[in-house]
Order: sequence, then C-alpha cells, then structure tokens
Amino acid sequence: MLKTYTRKKIFVVLFCVLFAFFLLFIRLGYLMICRSEFYLNKAQALHERERSVKAKRGIVYDRNGVELAGNKPVCSISVIHSQIKDENAVVEALCRILDLPEESVRKKVEANTIREKIKSNVEKKIADELRELGLAGVMIDEDYKRYYPYDTLASKVIGFTGSDNQGIVGLEVAYEDVLAGIPGSILTLTDAHGVELKNQAESRREPVAGNNLYTTLDINMQKYAQQAAIKVLKAKQAKRVSVILMNPQNGEIYAMVNVPEYNLNDPYTLVDVADLYVTPIERKKKEVAAMTDKQKQDALNNMWRNFCINDTYEPGSTFKTVTATAALEEGVVRVEDTFSCPGFRIVEDRRIRCHKVGGHGAETFREGIMNSCNPVFMDVGARVGVSNMYKNYKKLGLFEKTGVDLPGEASSIMHKQEDVGAVELATMSFGQSFQITPLQLLRAVSAIVNGGTLVTPHFGLYQTDESGERVKSFTYEKKEKAILKSTSDTMKMLLEAVVAEGSGSKGQVEGYRVGGKTATSEKLPRGTGRYISSFLGFAPANHPQILGIILIDEPVGIYYGGTIAAPVMSEIFSNVLPYMGLKAEYIEKEETEVMVPFFEDTVE
Amino acid sequence: MARRRAKRSGRRKRKSGLGALFVNGYFDFTLLFIVLFLVAFGLVMVYSTSSYTAELKMGDAAYYLKRQGVFALAGIVAMLGISKIDYHVWKKFSALAMIVTVGLLGLVLVAGASSHGATRWLQIGGITFQPSEVAKIAIILFTAHMSTIHAARIGNIKVMIKVIWAPILAVALIATENLSTGIICAAIVMMIVFVTSPKIKQFLVMGLGVAAILAFFLMIASYRLDRIKVWLHPEDYVSTNGYQTLQALYAVGSGGIFGKGLGQSIQKLDFLPESHNDYIFSIICEELGLFGAACVIAIFALLIWRCMVIAMSAPDLYGALIVIGVITHIAIQSMLNIAVVTNSMPPTGVPLPFISYGGTAIFFLLAEMGLVLSVAGQIRMAKEY
Repeated sequence: MLKTYTRKKIFVVLFCVLFAFFLLFIRLGYLMICRSEFYLNKAQALHERERSVKAKRGIVYDRNGVELAGNKPVCSISVIHSQIKDENAVVEALCRILDLPEESVRKKVEANTIREKIKSNVEKKIADELRELGLAGVMIDEDYKRYYPYDTLASKVIGFTGSDNQGIVGLEVAYEDVLAGIPGSILTLTDAHGVELKNQAESRREPVAGNNLYTTLDINMQKYAQQAAIKVLKAKQAKRVSVILMNPQNGEIYAMVNVPEYNLNDPYTLVDVADLYVTPIERKKKEVAAMTDKQKQDALNNMWRNFCINDTYEPGSTFKTVTATAALEEGVVRVEDTFSCPGFRIVEDRRIRCHKVGGHGAETFREGIMNSCNPVFMDVGARVGVSNMYKNYKKLGLFEKTGVDLPGEASSIMHKQEDVGAVELATMSFGQSFQITPLQLLRAVSAIVNGGTLVTPHFGLYQTDESGERVKSFTYEKKEKAILKSTSDTMKMLLEAVVAEGSGSKGQVEGYRVGGKTATSEKLPRGTGRYISSFLGFAPANHPQILGIILIDEPVGIYYGGTIAAPVMSEIFSNVLPYMGLKAEYIEKEETEVMVPFFEDTVE
Repeated sequence: MARRRAKRSGRRKRKSGLGALFVNGYFDFTLLFIVLFLVAFGLVMVYSTSSYTAELKMGDAAYYLKRQGVFALAGIVAMLGISKIDYHVWKKFSALAMIVTVGLLGLVLVAGASSHGATRWLQIGGITFQPSEVAKIAIILFTAHMSTIHAARIGNIKVMIKVIWAPILAVALIATENLSTGIICAAIVMMIVFVTSPKIKQFLVMGLGVAAILAFFLMIASYRLDRIKVWLHPEDYVSTNGYQTLQALYAVGSGGIFGKGLGQSIQKLDFLPESHNDYIFSIICEELGLFGAACVIAIFALLIWRCMVIAMSAPDLYGALIVIGVITHIAIQSMLNIAVVTNSMPPTGVPLPFISYGGTAIFFLLAEMGLVLSVAGQIRMAKEY
C-alpha cells in the first residue's frame, strides 16, 4: 500500500493538472467566443480572393445628348485546360478566328492552369463566330470597351481610356470619378496558393455603373469648326490649327478643335499633320518604325496635347484688347484721343517698329485699334503704367489658370512686375514678351465683352445616373464686375469697328454684327519666318452669344491674321450663328423692329 | 482470501521461464477504451488535416493517415503486450536503458539528422526516430526504480541527487536541442521524486530554482528571446516567426462555438504549416469548435484522472511512480501543446499526445500506456475485504 502522503501528493498533482486544463479551457473560450469574430474576419480576408467585375463606364454626351464616348460590347476569350476535349480543334479554331500565331495559343491551351486568357477586346461578331463552334473548354466573357463614335472629333478634349478602362487624357481623366463607377467583385475561397476551391459558395458584389457626363460641346459646332480648321490647315500647309468657340456669358465651351486631331479609337498610332495634305504615308511609317520607344512615347504625348490649354504662346495684337481695356478702366485714354504713328517708336534705347512701315500718321485711339497700330498702344501702355497694367491683368485673370476642367493646364509666363521697364511695358502693350494660353486670352476677352464678368471656361454641364436621371449639375466660379460695364460697352463698340471698318474686315459675317481683333505673332526665335496667325471674334457685337478664337500655327505664304485667320472665323460664324438660332439682321432691321410691336398690338 | 491471493502470487513468482513474465488479472478496460478512442480520433484528425496537402505533394490523400495508422497499430500491439508483462521486470533493465539513452542522445548531438531547424532525429537504416521519445520511457522507468529504492531517505537532498543525477544528465542533453522536451522530461523526474518524498518545502525551492534556470536559458539563447516577442505580438511578425502563431489563432478563433464541421477547415489548406502535427489542435478547434475542443480536453482529463486512480491504488510504490511518470508526460505535453496553439505561451514544438502526426511519438506513448495497464492489472481489490 502507498503511504498516505504519497496519495495526498498524487491528489495534489491531479488537482493541479485539472486546474491547468480548466485555465486552458477558459483561454479557449475567450479566443473562440469573444475573439471569434475578429479572427474569423481576418481568416476570411486571407482565404478570399477577389475577382473584380468591371463597372460600366459612364457615357460622355454633347450638350444635346449626342454620344461622344460610349461603350461597345467586346469579348475576352480564355481557355480552361481541364474542360478541353479536343485540343487540336481548339487550337485550330482559336488561331483561325482570332488570327493568332499557333505556337503561343498551343502553349496556353496546354498549360495546366485554372484559366488562361487568350485574347481580350475581341469584337462581339468574331466572338459569336467562335461561340457557334461550341468548343468545350473555351470561355467567352462579355465585356465593354470604350468606343468613340466620331473617331477624331474633339479628340484632344475628350481623351481616351487605358486597358483597365481608366481615363488617360482629356475629359476621360478629368471626370474619372464621375465616369468610372465602382467595380464589383466576386469573392471565392482559395487555398494558401490562391487556387480556388471547388464547391464553395461565391459571394458577389454588383458593380455600380459610372454616371454619364453631359458636356457643353455641341457636336455640330465642333464639326463646323473642325471642317474649317482642316480646310485652312491644308490651304496654308500649317503645322496646326486650333479653334475655340465659347459662350462669353457663362464660359461654356461649344467647340475646341486642334487639328490634326488623332483617332480616339486608335490613340497609339501617330498622326502627322503632313498626312493631311500630302501623302507621304509610306515614308512616315518608316520614320515611325525607326523611332525608339522613348521617341515614340514623346511623339504620342505631343500628339495628345491640347494646344489651347496645355501650351502658351505670345498672343500678339489680339492682346491689344486687354491693353485698351486697362487704359479705359484707368481712364487714361478716350476713344477720340489722337496719336501719331511715324512707323516706329523709340523707347529708351530701342526702336520698335509698327507693322506698317510708313506709319499710320495721325489717328484717334479708335483708329489705332482698327489699324492695330503698335505705336498707339505703346503710348497707351505707357500712360497706364506698370502697376496699373498689372492690376488690370490680374482683374482679367491672366496670372491664374482659367480653371478649365481639363488636365494639364499651363500657366502664363509673365515678367515679374519689378522687372518691367519701359521697353517691356511697350512690347507687352501689343502682346509680346510674355506668354499665355489661348484659353486664358479667351477668358479675359469674355470679361471684356460680356459686361465685366470673369467666367470659368468649362466643358462639364451635369451628370446623369444610369437611368438618365440628372443627379448633379456642375457649378463654376464667376467673378462679377471684374471690369466696369462702361468699359465693356466701349470695347464692344471698338472691336466691332475693327471688323466693320478696320484690320479685321475679313471677319465680317453678312447680316450679323461681329466684333473682333486680328493678330500675327512672330514665333520665337524671331527672324525665322514662323508665325502664329490668329483672329478673335464675337457675335452679336452688342450682346455677344459666342466668342471664338482661331490660331493658325506656322502658315506657309501669307501669314497675316487679318488675311488668313479672320475669313475662317467668318466662315465658322456664318454656319454657327444661324445654327444657334441667332437671326440675321439685314437692312430690314428697322422694319422688323417696328413690325413686332405692331403685330403684338393687333393680337391684344 | 488474502492468504489465498498471496499464495497465488507466490506461486506465480515461482513459475520459471517466460511464464513468469506474464500476469493474468484485472484489466482496465476503461483506460483502454479512452486510449483507443484518442488514437482513433487522432487518426481521423490526421486524415482531415493532412489529406489536402498530401494529395498535392504526395499524390495520395491518405499518405500520412496510412503511415500514422501503421505506427498506431504497432503501438497498440506493443501496448497490449506490455500490459501483460509484469512491470517489475523493467527494474532490471532501467539502468541499462538509462545508459543507452544517454548514449543515443549524445549520438544525436554528434550525428543527428536535421529537420525543421533542429537536430532531433537519428537515422538507423531507413527509419528515422527521435531518441528523446525513447528517453522519456527510460527516464520514467529509471527514476521510478531509483526513487523506490531510496524512498525512505529521499527527503535528504544528497539522496535525492543520487536518485536524479542520471536522468537530469539526460534531460540536459535533450534540452540543448529541444527545450520543450527537456522541460517535459524534467517535469517527469521531478514529479516522481515529489510524489515519493514526504517533504514539500524543498520542492517549492527547487521549483523556483528551475524557473531561474529556465530564465537563464532564455537569456542566453537569443532565438528564444525573439520567440517571446513573437508570443506577445504575433501580428508584428506576420511574415516571419509570428506567421504560424497567427495562422493558428485564425484557425482557433474562426471555429466559434460549434466549428465549421469536420473536414471543413480552410486553414489546413497550407495556410497553417504543420497542421497535422504540432498545430493539429487548432484545426480541431476550427472544425469542431469550442465544443469539440472542450471534449478533447475532457477526454485528456478523463485519461489523467483514470491514471491517477490507478496510481493511487497501485500495488506498490514502483508501480505508482511509473504511472505518475507516464501521466506527467501526457499531462504536461497536452497542456503545453494547447497553450502554444492558443498562444498562451511562447511557441515551441510540442505534439499533442495520441493525436498529432508522428510515428515514434505515438508508438512510445502507447507503450507507456501498456505500462500503466500493466500496473493496473496488478491492483489488488483490497476494498473487497
């Protein structure tokens, strides 16, 4: 028999062991009840693999609901090795229908993986052909691809998307948040190697489609403008032609053309301006083939650039509108003040020429604008002075970006105010020695002609949801009374005179009151004979509904803005103004004005 | 009656040859049933935890099950055989077993095969086995024998040292490579001596001493210090040492009260390495929930309780001490295992007795149970009179 203390000790040991087990049980209970959810979630996150389901990208419309960017059904084709019955037939069919090299297809067909992707973005028609063969193990998944019905139209505004349907340039990237939607996902359980488990319930989160974007663009105005731009591009063998049409009252951009445009459905193929008016396509292809990857990427980036926004230039004489406005705002000049132009002005040690070598002789301020006379504006600029000039630039938004809803907007390049001497002030007065973007100029002129409100140029109007319900309108900043209304009225009158009687006479449109200003800016470096010819016009001159600018980059032959740019805007306006519902007012004008009240009277 | 029994046993002792080894008496079917249940349950869980990876790596889902089954079968045969052998026989072999064990342990240090970053295996022919598993049995038998001899004077420290110096040498050899097995063996030695000795105070002092030595071990072995950091904040070491601990916690925690159902664990799909081995308990938790885990703990408690009953009613001190040694082995090992899996202590590789995959372990465990059954077989039904 055991001694009593031995038995007691055995009992103590037993008790200790059971007590330890009890503690472990408590610990288990804590882990498996109190912490269960925590660990379950963590484990689930580890076990679940997410397969994302693309959300339908929102459609981009013009202001009248014409589709500018939509989605086209495409298919992605993949094979599942374990389900294939006849490997050879599958390889043969895939190669024939999808036009793929046999070697790579065979490799994928024979790969013993869960799923091998053969080709994506396959046209639905081609995929249907494959589907009809009914081959086991060939999976055809429907998908959407971004599609641009008008190919090149407004390409540099709309932009395109990448392989994951994400916006890359233009409105597509600016409104990515609106258009993208929220991708859905399919959750499946996997083992530690990521292999999906069979017979496990999938959980699905449905994708949320992106919202549709209505823009201020008008497809017809864009077309008119593009046609006119291509015509002048060919005629003048220019490097580039840009046109912007905008509502100066609220900043809505109706059209923005930068020819040569590129094909949005094929954005990675280089388009060269030369292709448009001569046909050295073969030569061009060779050049492209010889490019290094980096050169090609640079060329592509350049092709996608929107000159109106992404690049700056010296505006030249169109900028005299700003100088004149500053002078009127500061009250340092009156319309009938007289100046004299001997063909040049000596400023400090420099002799700055007028474009008319013999000089304009004696002229009023009004005539100075009409003649686009440099000495007049040098005098006016000097009267305004540096600080007042800069104050007015600021009022017209020339030191800030326009705030347009496109990516990559360039900033103006201005002298520092303290660095501006008499020479700089003189050259700035007629639009040289600084750089702004065409859109900045347009925004400033909008304020000058709309009664003094500084608007934000923009494309985004409102967004609708999938069902077409309007969900959000975009609002844009407006700075009212940037300049005096009286200044604006005077400026409208002066600029109408420029077109009616002055250097912009080729910008006239029969039956409409058009105001405007021409410019011929010599590009840097000077003396190389390269110019940007431009014309800035608006109509009706008394209450402008449309403001446009055309810039012809490096025209060959005659390069005067008044001679080559103004007629293009005239042509555009003659199409666009009636389209906008603005009635032509011929000489009968007085009669109709009398007629209307008379007619109304009879009704009453 | 008593005389007749004594006479019978006297007759048995006189039997010559092989017959003298065997005993024919009481057989503890309760204990046998508990053990067989644990083994069977272990096989089910080994299959559940290993089939997926076995299919992937070996091309045979039952690969680990088959191997474990063979060892379990051999172990059951050994257990039944040993249960029929008079345990007093082992007295003669315990000194020899101790010498061989120390030799083998020394050999492992010199020429052992490495696996999982530690040298614990010996390869003889095509078979690899862990000498530390043999050591446990040898230590139990030797310490029990020595304690029985010196039982009367074991309260004296010098005598006690005389009893334990050889087993402690073995423990030290084991501990250099495998601290957790070292701790288990040390616990076996101390428990046997503790039960034998009439004193208590010196064991409390010794307990403190062991704690101090343990702390010292932890200080010098820097990788063990890292383990403590991992233990306290496993989530900070997800990509390194904390990975397994964290994966085990995911498995344990995601089981909930009733578990995902047998075979439904996802953590065993290679998320949790060694899921059929040291971490099998976490998969039990995941599949069978707190309920299943509690049942497993209850079965172990039942086993230990049953063994303690046997120990208390053992015919002599030697038998009781053997049972104490075996039960300490099982109790400490299962407690350590569950504590590690639940991150209640720093991670260390201890298999769950009878359930974890491991051929040597299950074979020798069953052999140990054979010893207990053998002791149980000689219980005299004193209460009858």
